[in-house]
Amino acid sequence: MKRRRTGLAAVAAAAVAFAYLVSRQDWWAAALTRLFPTLTQAVFPSATVADLVTQHLQIVLISSAITLLVGLPLGVWVTRPSGRAFRELVAASVDFGQTFPPVAVLALMMPLLGLGTSPAIVALSLYGLFPVVSNTVAGIEAVSPSVLDAATGMGMGKWRILFTVEFPLAARVIMAGIRTSVIINIGTATVAAATGAGGLGSPIYSGINLQNGAWVLEGAVAAALLAMVADSVLAQVERAVAPTA
Amino acid sequence: MTPPAAENAQVAQSPERGIDRVAAFGAAVAVVACLLLPLTVFRANRIVAGSPHTALSAGPAGWILLAVCVAALAVAALARPSVRGRVLPLSAAALTVALAWALGRAAVTLRAGQPVISRVSIGAGAWLVAAGCTVLWFASRSYDGAASFRRAAAGLAAAGFAGAALIGGLGQLSIVTEYGDRTAEFWAAVGTHLTLAGGSLALAVLIGVPLGVLSLRVRWLRTTTLGVVGLIQTVPSLALLGLLVFPLAALGLPGIGPLPGVIALTLYALLPIVRNTYVGLSGVDPAIVDAGRGMGMSGSQLLLRVEAPLALPLVIEGVRSAAVLVIGIAAVVAFVGVGTLGVLVFEGWGVQADDLILLGAVPMVVMAVVADAGLRALARAATSPGIR
Amino acid sequence: MIRLENVMKRYGETTAVRGLSLEVAAGEICVLIGPSGCGKTTTLRMINRLIEPTSGRIVVDGHDVTEQSPELLRRGLGYVIQSVGLFPHLTVADNIVTVPRLLGWDRGRMDARATELLALVGLDPREYADKYPRQLSGGEAQRVGVARALAADPPVLLMDEPFGAVDPLTRERLQAEFARIQRELHKTVVFVTHDVDEAIRLADRIAVMRDGQLQQYDTPEQILDHPANKFVHDFMGADRALKRLGRVRVDAVIRADVPVLSANRTADAIAERAACSESRFVYLVDADHRLEGWFDCRALANGASPESAITTVDWREVAVRPDTSLKEALSRMLGLGFRSISVVDGTGVLLGIVGLADIEETMTDSDAHIASVPGGLGGAGEAEA
Repeated sequence: MKRRRTGLAAVAAAAVAFAYLVSRQDWWAAALTRLFPTLTQAVFPSATVADLVTQHLQIVLISSAITLLVGLPLGVWVTRPSGRAFRELVAASVDFGQTFPPVAVLALMMPLLGLGTSPAIVALSLYGLFPVVSNTVAGIEAVSPSVLDAATGMGMGKWRILFTVEFPLAARVIMAGIRTSVIINIGTATVAAATGAGGLGSPIYSGINLQNGAWVLEGAVAAALLAMVADSVLAQVERAVAPTA
Repeated sequence: MTPPAAENAQVAQSPERGIDRVAAFGAAVAVVACLLLPLTVFRANRIVAGSPHTALSAGPAGWILLAVCVAALAVAALARPSVRGRVLPLSAAALTVALAWALGRAAVTLRAGQPVISRVSIGAGAWLVAAGCTVLWFASRSYDGAASFRRAAAGLAAAGFAGAALIGGLGQLSIVTEYGDRTAEFWAAVGTHLTLAGGSLALAVLIGVPLGVLSLRVRWLRTTTLGVVGLIQTVPSLALLGLLVFPLAALGLPGIGPLPGVIALTLYALLPIVRNTYVGLSGVDPAIVDAGRGMGMSGSQLLLRVEAPLALPLVIEGVRSAAVLVIGIAAVVAFVGVGTLGVLVFEGWGVQADDLILLGAVPMVVMAVVADAGLRALARAATSPGIR
Repeated sequence: MIRLENVMKRYGETTAVRGLSLEVAAGEICVLIGPSGCGKTTTLRMINRLIEPTSGRIVVDGHDVTEQSPELLRRGLGYVIQSVGLFPHLTVADNIVTVPRLLGWDRGRMDARATELLALVGLDPREYADKYPRQLSGGEAQRVGVARALAADPPVLLMDEPFGAVDPLTRERLQAEFARIQRELHKTVVFVTHDVDEAIRLADRIAVMRDGQLQQYDTPEQILDHPANKFVHDFMGADRALKRLGRVRVDAVIRADVPVLSANRTADAIAERAACSESRFVYLVDADHRLEGWFDCRALANGASPESAITTVDWREVAVRPDTSLKEALSRMLGLGFRSISVVDGTGVLLGIVGLADIEETMTDSDAHIASVPGGLGGAGEAEA
């Protein structure tokens, strides 16, 4: 218990430190100027790091929210009697979907939805769906039948069983799926900058195109830090929601 | 996801009673897509905005397509379960052929009298009809005793599709035109993509498997290795490529080109390989290891004769995850100047040439799916019948 | 054959085995017994160097075990463990020839050896050779484990609670068969168990251990009759007379001259047979002398009809084998509520009976009987698989 609390505290501190670092545009400017003294424009001019991170998070959060709103009910539904007929279809689709390269999903969305932020969000939501659905089904199906039997025997209704027995027991597995989904989304959102979605990919692309190494570094460092902080935060959440042994 | 056996048996039987909800869902998707979504998109040239055309505007072939969709829905909903198992695969085959012909006819009709540079590309409706058709096919697999019908239907679908390609005007579609314009570039990209992904994967196996084996024996190596490769895994691929530029430049090496590409892909491929090697080996029952040692096996004999065969399926499973991952990320490597399929996609994004995007994305998907299926089969083949 | 000289094993502060000296003669079964944590398994594992002693010397067949590499040493010492540890990816036959393969035997010789050993441990080679371990029951797996340990014909067998993980009935069969195999092969066996009955039944000598120290090393009889200290006394348990029955086989006290009635089962024949029978029961057998039931002469004499005096039985359920221990036979008798129990071979052929009185006599005069049964479980009567 104590260990869990210190872990949470460390991760919270890291998140706060990251947020502060991102807000100090002057630090970035100073550091990049020192590293690239020959460049006239060492900092990405179109947006501050804080703006880029905000844009990036916005895309990721919106698409992850959509993923959860669709993925969790879908995963639960195919484990209920009403949706069990679709379980195999959903499982096979999810397995198949996970073999799709993220870039290909982005790419296939373009002709259908065009360029910009919203197609990127649709693509990210769709791609993020696979680990969420997969882990929701796996987590719920891993709940032992004897536990469900006991719950039913005690007179619990099926909704009560879902929320007080199945979800808590499956929480860690489901949360692991969400974590995978979000981390993939952060990465794919970086690539999506090429389709005009904005976010931390933009300085990397512009930097590569205009041969400005400082912009590349700016975007890459911020994106890498964002992903790592998000991953450790979600890892803590995953640990926190696990049923205590 | 592995379904629990008991429940699975129930699912397999459910289509026997009343309406087959899975097949009906697939057919309904196809019907709706036919009626509401564009089967094709017509554009005056390859990059201008297009005008959508539903199936029904493709003339008789479009109406036939709709009729087949409706018929499939009727089969899913109304046919006697005993008959359904045989008719479903045939419906799926008919739908495949009807879709190919409708696309071909639409392309020919829409381009008639238009300049050569006009394009007819595949619309959202066609993709959804194809998806619905796949669902029908999937649903038909839960019926016993119709395997021969499924084989026949698959043959029929292939023949019909070939017919549509040869004489039905399927070749008039824009993606074929695009391919024709860029054949050499396309195959070069496919080659580069495969070489880069394959080479990095091979490198990752050569490094990752020994690392996984050593991790089993050396504790600090395990925590460090799994920690580091786990951390790398979270870093966005584009960011990692960006970050690699600087250490490479410091070493006097090119930060752009195949080298950072191979390094990045290898690093990403390491995690599943190292982790699965370690998990596979550490999962071997200690009693088995004790028995082996007690009978006088040396460390290497134990590894080669007992631990490796038991862990191999899991190791191959790790290679499979890594392969799928690497094929996807190889696309991103196009940004640092390697001519993978990503080049086609990103160039397509740059000029909004949808056909070019597809030309890059579709083979990528095919590669990933084939690698996935191939390595799954290999893992199965490498599993001793005693532990299957 | 095996000699431990002042062997000591320390793990940091704790001492697992302290100053243990022990000698096991060739062809004998030495059972190491004691409560968990007494150091018996550590001792066993030091013999094949799965654990290296902190100090002291272990000599096998005149050679210090440290003279050769641990791998070479182990190939000459058969090793059986409680969890069996069969290799799940190999067939039963391939599992058995693990050590021969390490020794570089050719394929033909290995196949022949696997077949021979499967037959020895009572598994039909044609049925079992190509099975995989997961297709075996616990008892079958343990038989394969024993066969595997015997594959390269090592003079020494090290067994760590080999029958500890199977149900009591299977354990009984496995013990009986192990005793039979041992009579054939005369291995030098070091056998770890915490089951006192198993120790008494199988051991030539028992080494009782506690907290890493040897408490007593002697024959089962001596340990039962003259425990060296209170710990040994308490550990062996209060029911010593009963325990001693574990040393005696049914065939040592069997009465072979039982009245039987074979083919003719008419009422007249039964009455006639009953009239001339001295004992209360006459046993019914088929043409192959397989036990089918019995009838009660006293009930017949008291006027019961012949039909109601007949009891029909399945020999698998109500009979014991000649190699069953008297302790087991007694327990079966009490369970079934009989005053005597029939003895059959593996195919159900009636060999005789053992009565409660015969067992009682053994309990009061046990030494005589044990003396007449060399090795406790030796003697006549081939056990059946």
